[in-house]
Amino acid sequence: MSNVRRLVVVVCLVATACAGAIPTGRLQGEVIEDPQPKPSFVLTDTAGEPYDFADRTQGKLTLLYFGYTNCPDVCPVHLAQIAETLDTHPDLAGDTEVVFVTVDPTRDTPEVIRAFLDNFNTRFVGLTGTPDELTAAQEAADVPPATITGDGEDYTVDHAGWVIAYSPDGLSRTLYPYGTRQNVWVNDLTILIEMTEGAA
Amino acid sequence: MIWWCVALEEPWTWDWDPYPGVWLATLVPLAAYALAVRRHRPLDRRRLGFFVAGMIVFWLASDWPLGVLGAGYLASAHMLQFLLYTLVGAPLLLLGTPEWLGRRLLGRLTPPVAWLGRSPVVCAVVYNLMLAVTHSPGTVEVLRRSQLGSFTMDLLWMVAGFILWLPVISPLPEGRLTSPWPKMLYLFLATAVVAVIPASLLTFSTTPVYAIYELAPRIGSLTAREDQQIAGILMKLATIPVIWGTIAVLWFRYAKQEEAPV
Repeated sequence: MSNVRRLVVVVCLVATACAGAIPTGRLQGEVIEDPQPKPSFVLTDTAGEPYDFADRTQGKLTLLYFGYTNCPDVCPVHLAQIAETLDTHPDLAGDTEVVFVTVDPTRDTPEVIRAFLDNFNTRFVGLTGTPDELTAAQEAADVPPATITGDGEDYTVDHAGWVIAYSPDGLSRTLYPYGTRQNVWVNDLTILIEMTEGAA
Repeated sequence: MIWWCVALEEPWTWDWDPYPGVWLATLVPLAAYALAVRRHRPLDRRRLGFFVAGMIVFWLASDWPLGVLGAGYLASAHMLQFLLYTLVGAPLLLLGTPEWLGRRLLGRLTPPVAWLGRSPVVCAVVYNLMLAVTHSPGTVEVLRRSQLGSFTMDLLWMVAGFILWLPVISPLPEGRLTSPWPKMLYLFLATAVVAVIPASLLTFSTTPVYAIYELAPRIGSLTAREDQQIAGILMKLATIPVIWGTIAVLWFRYAKQEEAPV
């Protein structure tokens, strides 16, 4: 009988440890204490058309990320995490806009960005611009401008590794560093969307 | 120099890397076995074959690429490693161990450990306890981040495999269940009941359970959740051919004995 009891305890422990996706009712990302309005910048999308960030994302939950397609680890994992979260939760996908802004305009042509983003989600928006426009966009979003490290073709770019979430009322609400898990995304996107409905 | 496969936190490549610790862990037992059986003629070629096959399975499960994939990239590879250690490698090594060698090895164990191998109930509970602990997200996260931890995880799985199979194919006759029916029942209960719970959690969870595989650079177009679902399905279904195959063999042997003229 004691063996059976032990077994039950083990099973309960495993079940508890594995249950990682329970909504908590509060934001788990890094909450921005002083929410800022959505930055205003116009860049070029992957179709070569002008994209007014504030205007085109108005009224939508928006995830803004500055990265580059040759990034070996942080960028692909971030985008994969968001894409997989939206794939498994289509109720969240319809109300969420994901905007990827390159910080490596030399290598990241619109075609390269589109091909890169299509690996994750064909609805993700990709933007590029001149170096000055991209620096201005990062500063407008309160993100430290990216810097190039190394020489030759295999240089890397040091850039902010976090995603900024703007609630549909246009205010920055939370930051998500590298390593943010899908259960956190599900939890927070659900709350941020509900915040919208509350505001509406 | 990296001695044992560990989570690397860098994009996966198919470039081969050496893991000398895995080679040592494979070659040292083989050399020790060869030395031991040389002194005990005649050589039992069947047992030798089982032992060498068991060590080959251990090597394949531990070394590049499966060892690296399982340590830090894919939950499905992690599960495949577990299944190879516990359901293939460990029983082959037990089948390859002659009684005199088993007596020598088990004789060196402390009484509580030796006792463990003689009780099927204890073996089943300990095996499932090890299964649950070594597959819990916290354990995987901690152990797979260091070489020593990753080695410990692989070693624990081999030990779990030995514990699981001892009541059925122990090298010592007194350590085995004697009749086929208890053996069949034991194998079914020890492998098919508790494992369903973590297997189902992995298969049906809407978000990835293991942070280490979720945040690893992706391999191909496989998502973290799909990888986890494969792991869950493997955990549930891959035991079927081994366990039910063994049960079938035990059954046919029993039927043959029953049919034999007295």
